[in-house]
Amino acid sequence: MKWFNKTLTASLVIFGAFTFSGIAYATAEPEAQKITVSNAYAREVPPNAMASASFMMLKNSSGKDIYLVEANSAAAKTVELHTHVHDNGVMRMRQVPDIKIPAHGMTMLQPGGYHIMLIGLKQPLVSGHQIQVTLTFKDGSHKTVEMPVKSVMGMQMQHHSM
Amino acid sequence: MPNRKYAVFLLALLTSAVMVGYYVYSKSVGHTPLALSSPPKGGDFTATSNQGPVSLSDFKGKWVYLYFGYTFCPDICPTNLGNLSAAYHQLTPKEKNQVQFLFFSVDPTRDTPKRLAEYSRYYDMNLIGMTSDKANIDHVTQQYGAVYAIHREAKDPDNYSVDHSAFTYVISPQGKLVTQLPHGTDAQAFLQNIRHNLKTQ
Repeated sequence: MKWFNKTLTASLVIFGAFTFSGIAYATAEPEAQKITVSNAYAREVPPNAMASASFMMLKNSSGKDIYLVEANSAAAKTVELHTHVHDNGVMRMRQVPDIKIPAHGMTMLQPGGYHIMLIGLKQPLVSGHQIQVTLTFKDGSHKTVEMPVKSVMGMQMQHHSM
Repeated sequence: MPNRKYAVFLLALLTSAVMVGYYVYSKSVGHTPLALSSPPKGGDFTATSNQGPVSLSDFKGKWVYLYFGYTFCPDICPTNLGNLSAAYHQLTPKEKNQVQFLFFSVDPTRDTPKRLAEYSRYYDMNLIGMTSDKANIDHVTQQYGAVYAIHREAKDPDNYSVDHSAFTYVISPQGKLVTQLPHGTDAQAFLQNIRHNLKTQ
């Protein structure tokens, strides 16, 4: 039975090593590093407006779905993840628990759909200013995105040139 | 064998019960259908702006573009008003005098006439912000076939959204509701609609 014990011990050691390296691997590659953010901006809002929204494109370079679970910004009192449900011409804005960025895919945060809602703006968002939004993913990793504030009125032209 | 049949039957019953349960649940969770009363008749109304009472009939002789929304709206309303503003800026001075834009807030608790005036000024067009009491808002939205509902998720009393119809209602110089333009109408389409209307009035 000695050989059996030896084998068991060896297996446990190997298994342990695998598990440990697995954990080490996971911590070395946080989800935030596998996400590329582009075209990020926040909307300029009229003076005294209570809320605005931030939009961006999120690209996932990994083979696993990644979930954006939280966003924070010093620009607003409360920051929430939202989407719009279009229902027969009625727009319903709803908070969502997370936004999925599919494996090797991308998710657009854009007008009329997903957005990061900035509630209780601490100062007016004026075109030309920059704000920072920190994204938190499901594994707890963060990514801070610096973005310009853009005017709504100019968006039409940008849309056509794209 | 009869036992097995019985089991299959039970399983089917259970599955359908779960399905019915889910259907009822999904209907009840934040998704109360808002009935679009149709067909909308339109018609005159009066609401409060920062300059005092404003009626639709004050703008007889002009084409009126009416939008129901709320200033807390971070995306849908600014997109629509931004597109209208972009269209307005392509009009000649003479054309500009023949159109009037109205932003009717369905959120009078947060949207004071003063806030609405500041909000409207931002869009830099002939836009008047107005609101009213709930009874009148309900009456006017019904006239136009618009619907709205307060949606509350957070505990913060000031943090709630308002589900609302996102149409732009086009009203003729005689005060008649002519058409409604859907959300997503871009500046070019608004411009075409305005120019078409100004020619055919």
